[in-house]
Amino acid sequence: MSVVVDGAVELDAFRLEVTLTAQPRAVLAVLGPNGAGKSTLLRAVCGLVPLASGTIGLGDDVVDDAGRGIFVPPQQRRVGVVFQDHRLFRHLRVLDNVAFGPRARGVPRAAARVSAAEWLARLGLDELAGRRPAQLSGGQAQRVALARALAAEPAALLLDEPLAALDVQTRAEVQGELREHLRDFAGPTLLVTHDPIEALLLATRIVVLERGRVVQEGSPADITSRPLTPYVARLVGMNLYEGRATGTSVALDGGGHLVAADAPAGRVLVAVRPSAITVHTEQPHGTSARNAWAGRVAGLAPLGDRVRVSVTGEPAATVDVTAAAVAELGLGPGAPVWLSAKATDVAAYPAPAEVAGGLAG
Amino acid sequence: MRTGRRRRRTGPGTPLLVVPPAAVGVLLLGVPTLAILVRTPWSRLGTIYHRRGVWTALRISLESSLEATALSVLLGVPLAWALARLRMRGIGFVRALVTIPLVLPPVIGGVALFDALGRFGIAGRPVHDLLGSDLPFTFAGIVLAQTFVAMPFLVITVEGAFRIADRGVEEAAATLGASRSRIFARVTLPLVAPAILLGTVLCWARALGEFGATLLFGGNTPGHTQTLPTLVLTVFNDNPADAPALALPLMAVAIVVLGTLRDTWLRPLASS
Repeated sequence: MSVVVDGAVELDAFRLEVTLTAQPRAVLAVLGPNGAGKSTLLRAVCGLVPLASGTIGLGDDVVDDAGRGIFVPPQQRRVGVVFQDHRLFRHLRVLDNVAFGPRARGVPRAAARVSAAEWLARLGLDELAGRRPAQLSGGQAQRVALARALAAEPAALLLDEPLAALDVQTRAEVQGELREHLRDFAGPTLLVTHDPIEALLLATRIVVLERGRVVQEGSPADITSRPLTPYVARLVGMNLYEGRATGTSVALDGGGHLVAADAPAGRVLVAVRPSAITVHTEQPHGTSARNAWAGRVAGLAPLGDRVRVSVTGEPAATVDVTAAAVAELGLGPGAPVWLSAKATDVAAYPAPAEVAGGLAG
Repeated sequence: MRTGRRRRRTGPGTPLLVVPPAAVGVLLLGVPTLAILVRTPWSRLGTIYHRRGVWTALRISLESSLEATALSVLLGVPLAWALARLRMRGIGFVRALVTIPLVLPPVIGGVALFDALGRFGIAGRPVHDLLGSDLPFTFAGIVLAQTFVAMPFLVITVEGAFRIADRGVEEAAATLGASRSRIFARVTLPLVAPAILLGTVLCWARALGEFGATLLFGGNTPGHTQTLPTLVLTVFNDNPADAPALALPLMAVAIVVLGTLRDTWLRPLASS
């Protein structure tokens, strides 16, 4: 079974327009900033909010078709949801929380408890069976919420920022477990997140949502190497420019130009990794880098064992250097520098129509 | 021996502003209660209870108030849900209509019941045809009168709880395949259970002490429609010195019930 969304949701002044397909056994991450409409998309898929137009298909069934007046309520969609705030039933023990789905589908109490116990065991949560949700840590609660969703034997699984409320340590643990359980799940999974690392780690495919629109879709490798919007570029830590290519040289809209190894003709986006740019105190000579330009240090920020330097110039760029290099080159704010980058590290690819003209600034 | 160690004060301390009004409040509520105990003719209790038919009136009070409470829960909880959750025109008018008995003097409630269900009331004929008898001056009549006065207490208490109850878990239950009725019974009701309990107690206390509507609509027939509060009127008219004795059974019932429920009240469902 796959999930196919091609429609729009309207909530007050907000409009979400999405076309996407989630394949069985695949994890499709929906990545986007707050307010992009990610959760609204999930709510539409599981039937908590109706489409204003278009259709949603689950496998062979159309569960929402605004035009034909079809709307299958959430009870009959067999779509499991794990919410950011776990939404466990606080008056029920963990075991009965997990048994709730089977019970709702008519399984007798004893049998439902047996199957709930099996799910808890499979997820390594046996010893929590007798506890109340109030006695669980955040990580435990999210694991139980996943068990509860899976125990209802859904045809598709939706995860709404399942790790966002967890502390860093717990998040890493649950992330690892989630990866395994999602691999075992036969249906499609939609994972909503605003954390690119989570998307890269868990997803087989990524859809980027901004202001209610899909702005990019692709494999994790596509997204990281060829971001299509400033938001995506910032998420994956890339320098992104827009310009017009003539041969292999791209005249950038914001000033300056960069030479790529290869470029399609016309409007292009140009992406350069911060670690692919080299900083010099003087104009570089005798280097193989085909791009060199002058700039001025605007600021420095620590980034793990390196330092991220933002440089103004044409074009402006963020550059990753070692802490030693900062001292060696005397990189303080306001320091004049030269930057260089090899043509092979400059990726030029066609600009999408929607982004054209919208990148500068 | 004094160790010189005093319990150290924590927090910002007691604001002096609250002390005098609080003390006056205690006096206002406490003195009349104590006065009843002081004036109770302890030596003649047995005689009074026997001669005045107090035990019968107490039984009728308990039975009628419990039936009124049961009726209120049965009708009031679904009504509270409707008021809290239904999005339709006129729901505000309905809310006003069903909470009016809260502010109405109960004796007016009695008049209103007569106008509605009395032999010449606007719904009196169909009721008579349905039941084969009249409602006023019957046991069913006093149950109805108490329900009319007490149910709004339950409705507003529970309505507030339905309004603030977490809708998120109801959505979660829906995605797990639970029908609307199942969500209501298994998720929403447990969420608001503390409020239902509180509303039930308030409602029952109000029904047990009900006087005005009961007297007017139910009458004051000993052994039939005479409750303890309406018996107090009879005794007080007759011999005021005997009246304090009648307060004791009601106070005893109140203390026993509140004492049993206190733990349940103070301990929210979530932490149990």
